[in-house]
Amino acid sequence: MTPRSAAALWGTAVTAALVAVPLILRDRLPDPLAVHWGPAGAPDREQSFATGLAVQVAMWIVIWGFLLAAAARERTLARRMGRGYWWGTLVGGGLFVLGMGGVTLLANLDVADWTAAVLEPWQVVAVILVGVAAGLLAGYLGRGGPDPEVPADAEPPRLDLRPGQRVVWVSRLTNPWLLAVTAVAAAGLVVVAVLDVAGASVGAALPPLVIVLLVGLLTTSLTCRVTADGLRIGFGPLGWPARRIQLSKIDKAWSDTRYPSQVGGWGIRGLPGAATIMLRGGECLIIRYHSGGELAVSVDDAARGAALLNALVAEKVSR
Amino acid sequence: MLLTLDLNDARPLHQQVASAIRHAIGEGAYTPGDRLPPARDLADALGINANTVLRALRDLRDEGLLEFRRGRGVSVAGRADGRALLVERARELLDEARRYGYRREDLITILEELT
Repeated sequence: MTPRSAAALWGTAVTAALVAVPLILRDRLPDPLAVHWGPAGAPDREQSFATGLAVQVAMWIVIWGFLLAAAARERTLARRMGRGYWWGTLVGGGLFVLGMGGVTLLANLDVADWTAAVLEPWQVVAVILVGVAAGLLAGYLGRGGPDPEVPADAEPPRLDLRPGQRVVWVSRLTNPWLLAVTAVAAAGLVVVAVLDVAGASVGAALPPLVIVLLVGLLTTSLTCRVTADGLRIGFGPLGWPARRIQLSKIDKAWSDTRYPSQVGGWGIRGLPGAATIMLRGGECLIIRYHSGGELAVSVDDAARGAALLNALVAEKVSR
Repeated sequence: MLLTLDLNDARPLHQQVASAIRHAIGEGAYTPGDRLPPARDLADALGINANTVLRALRDLRDEGLLEFRRGRGVSVAGRADGRALLVERARELLDEARRYGYRREDLITILEELT
């Protein structure tokens, strides 16, 4: 089954279940429904039957729409990690939405009034665990074959180093959109704290604010540098903290075009050995370690950086 | 931006840095409007003083190759001057020729033989 037909079938089935099951059980449900529960399991927010249904369906339609769009563009599914994320989100996300709808209905079933609906915390935990487990399994099964070693067109230009020369490569990258998102998120948290929305006190909003600001700032820009010492990737406007990779660890380097949809989004993605520092889609510098792992960094002018890294590695080996 | 410094070059360091940047822009790594990496990054990578890099950048601004904008850093203003680039390449060619034992006159003869 192709990803597109799988997404169409499974997405339709999930949507149908989200709509049909509440309608079938409508006589046994209160109106309004309890849709949110406090930590103790007591309901603290209600919605009319129609709104509750619409919100659940809309949540799924957004996820489903992203997946369909990603499948239509094909580049998401061109790489192994992208396929893994795609199948994982399709199956895990669908089951999670279904599960959340299911436990909401279960809690509301046959109660006189929404305030009497009780949610068992273990049910929520079970839904999350099942969603994550199914997502991981689907991602693993749908990952497909390994990615091509080095794409033929990605072989960097050869660079000859002469004795008595010092050659370095420097590049930087800033994504103003990520900066804007950070600013909006930070402003939102400040508003929440100041206006006391959602019962959040200033003290409670401070840690997330600091985290959003720090993580945001550190992943909106980076500086890359190749010298005789190896590769150095500096995060944030100050280029600190930095990740250093010694030449002796590098097998080879090349440049390739990669997109956030292929690696699961923006920022630092993946696991050590298959990590990507993704600030924007497009040209990326890829290095292969001797250990077999890979690191990709989205950065301009990557082909020249890769050429210099290869030249420096070759020089070190021949010496 | 790929920058090459020749350790045997007798010219002042800021001139060498300006040459290296001019060369990198001439190679097409940066087109007009592109922002250069910050001077501090270039200096750190080359292992030289940031003021030397700044001086080179100012020279290139006076040449019309770069422009400085407040808050936007340094960006490429125009295409590298063809003549300046040729001088750059000729200097490298001369260095290379000397390494193989050819003198300046030999190089001129070779150039004249090319039609």
